[in-house]
Amino acid sequence: MNKRVLCLSMSFLILIIVAIGGFAQSKSVTITHWYWADNPQYSATMKEIAAEFNATNNKNITVVAEEYPWDGGAYSETLFRAAMGGGGPDTSTFKLTSTPLFTANNLLVKLDDYIANWKDKNDIEDSLYNVMRMGSGTDNIYLMPWTTQILYVYYRPSMFNEVGIAVPKTYAEFLEACKKLTRDTNGDGVIDVYGFGMRGAKGGHEPWGSFIWARGGNFKDFTTPQAIAGMQDFIDLYKNGYTPPTATMDGFQEIIANFKSGKTAMTVHHIGSSPGMIETFGDDVDAFIFPGEVGQWTSMGDTENVIMESCKNKEAAFEWISYMATGKGQEKWCTVTGNVPVSKSIQQLPVFQNSKFMKVSIEGTPVAGIYPILDTTTEWISTIWPNTVAAALLGQITATEAMKKLQIGLYGQ
Amino acid sequence: MPRQKINPWPYLLISPALITFFTVVFIPVLNAILISFQRYDLRRPKAIGFVGLENYINIFQDPLFFQSIWKTFLWVIFGVGFQFILGFGLALLLHKKFFGRGIIRSVSLIPWVTPGVLIGLMWRWIYDGNYGVLNDFFLKLNLINEKIPFLAQQKSAFPSVIVTIIWQGIPFFALMILAGLQGIPGELYDAADVDGADGLQKLFKITIPMLKNTIYVTTLLRIIWVANSVDVIFNMTEGGPAYATQTLSVYVFNKGNTLNLGYASTMSIILTLLLLLVAILYLKNIFGREEE
Repeated sequence: MNKRVLCLSMSFLILIIVAIGGFAQSKSVTITHWYWADNPQYSATMKEIAAEFNATNNKNITVVAEEYPWDGGAYSETLFRAAMGGGGPDTSTFKLTSTPLFTANNLLVKLDDYIANWKDKNDIEDSLYNVMRMGSGTDNIYLMPWTTQILYVYYRPSMFNEVGIAVPKTYAEFLEACKKLTRDTNGDGVIDVYGFGMRGAKGGHEPWGSFIWARGGNFKDFTTPQAIAGMQDFIDLYKNGYTPPTATMDGFQEIIANFKSGKTAMTVHHIGSSPGMIETFGDDVDAFIFPGEVGQWTSMGDTENVIMESCKNKEAAFEWISYMATGKGQEKWCTVTGNVPVSKSIQQLPVFQNSKFMKVSIEGTPVAGIYPILDTTTEWISTIWPNTVAAALLGQITATEAMKKLQIGLYGQ
Repeated sequence: MPRQKINPWPYLLISPALITFFTVVFIPVLNAILISFQRYDLRRPKAIGFVGLENYINIFQDPLFFQSIWKTFLWVIFGVGFQFILGFGLALLLHKKFFGRGIIRSVSLIPWVTPGVLIGLMWRWIYDGNYGVLNDFFLKLNLINEKIPFLAQQKSAFPSVIVTIIWQGIPFFALMILAGLQGIPGELYDAADVDGADGLQKLFKITIPMLKNTIYVTTLLRIIWVANSVDVIFNMTEGGPAYATQTLSVYVFNKGNTLNLGYASTMSIILTLLLLLVAILYLKNIFGREEE
């Protein structure tokens, strides 16, 4: 009798254990992740990364990746509105400049404790964590570094050979190259190649900054004579016809289309567009860092991942964003897009060490920087900069007047 | 005296519409009015608070606001004006009998049924200064020697977006006026023929007077819709270059996008009041004349 009771009890206990284990097994977590993609290939890559993570994480985490357009920064506005409305994703790709807006409204999760307990935390440079803290204006980290993009100048070696110039090493040589590369190639009296593909629409502040710093200006005060001189160079490129006349409204799509169609000889972008450039031109495309004179600066584009405060399972969300930062997700994304990895170990892989555009990006790192991250920055980038610079390019206001407006727009009266 | 029983059915039957009106129109408008008296900027949530007329005072010191009002005036005058003239002409054409009239009537509705966002994107590429078909067309006809960056220059950007809104609105006028034309008795034209009236006389003495109520209502509706429209301009130029195409509704939209909702709400209240004033003066003028 005792034996029977014992057997029954043991069986019952085993049954309970199996049931609990089964319950734990079947309790899966879904993480909704928002992202943007520059082209369909990147879009497909993100879906693949999510699928691989789902198949291999062994923690029953299922990531659902949803794409939203970048649209010159409107992505951040869409994310903000969704989060403020009580919706939105669990995690999202993110831009540093949006940090003050989101942290002021308590929309992001502090990652300090998660990172402190993370086994791969030292695979990312401390300086990057510091940049993330800077973005929030606090001692806390709200953003997980993901990739960086250093802006450089694409150029066509064949066009440089045609006009007999070398890659510019100084700012003065760069301005001269813009002039020499602008030409009528078929003798019909109409310019059909422009030296520089200027981005005058939203997002153009990034390459524009290089002109300001080259003359010795900076972003603390746009009204110095040096900064105004840089602005005047920018205006003169347009006024003298070294850029397409559509430059005042040319955004990302237009400058890339103009460069790929051979309408422009140089244009500024980052490694994210390099696969498309290689596909179009093969070896007849290369890059150099925007040269300096008195100073030198190029824009450090950044992309991070964040966990939204509304996320119900923050540990699972951190598993996902850390996979994107130093795991297979980082490797795959950066291999396909050519973005500079934040993971030191992944940076050492041959695929990154052997890429010419990666080399140029890394060369630009010492002079790469960001704009001041203030609560006025978003409006300044999306409305004030494009309209003020367009007014200057079209001769409605002078360089001095434009820089004064930009100063007031970013820093107030 | 026996008390009259109140019939609840009318109230019950209109209550869904009333509830919808209150929740979708009245409450948001009331909310916008309340926000216009606050410093309501989501970039600085800790500073949100009542500020009285501060937003209104700031707006009347904003040169961009007055520029936007002027742009809105031109946008409506030229946009609606040419929509009416061309829509009227199209209606007269479509009223005639000809082979394939049914298909032509349907096809002519395409600009009206196409979403505004798609219209903006489509015309942006039509006008493109490097690859646009319009430049290609003009070059092939030798009307120009070099391509025109229609949307990249201040002097051409605003006329270009106005042409787009005219294109969009012609079918609406054509449709409404065509419906009105169907209701004009044929005997009036027969009598005019007997009296020896020519085409122009019939147009000005019969057609237009008989259509006047249709024209008044259609024009007022289009004035309000065009003044409030954002989608076409935003997708073509976002109000640029250098604010050249920024009407007041686009300014409100751009300001709202930067999350300065107090300022944006204030401008939208002012726009509403301006349109109300236009509507009241317009209707008073029309009904005043009729009473005379």
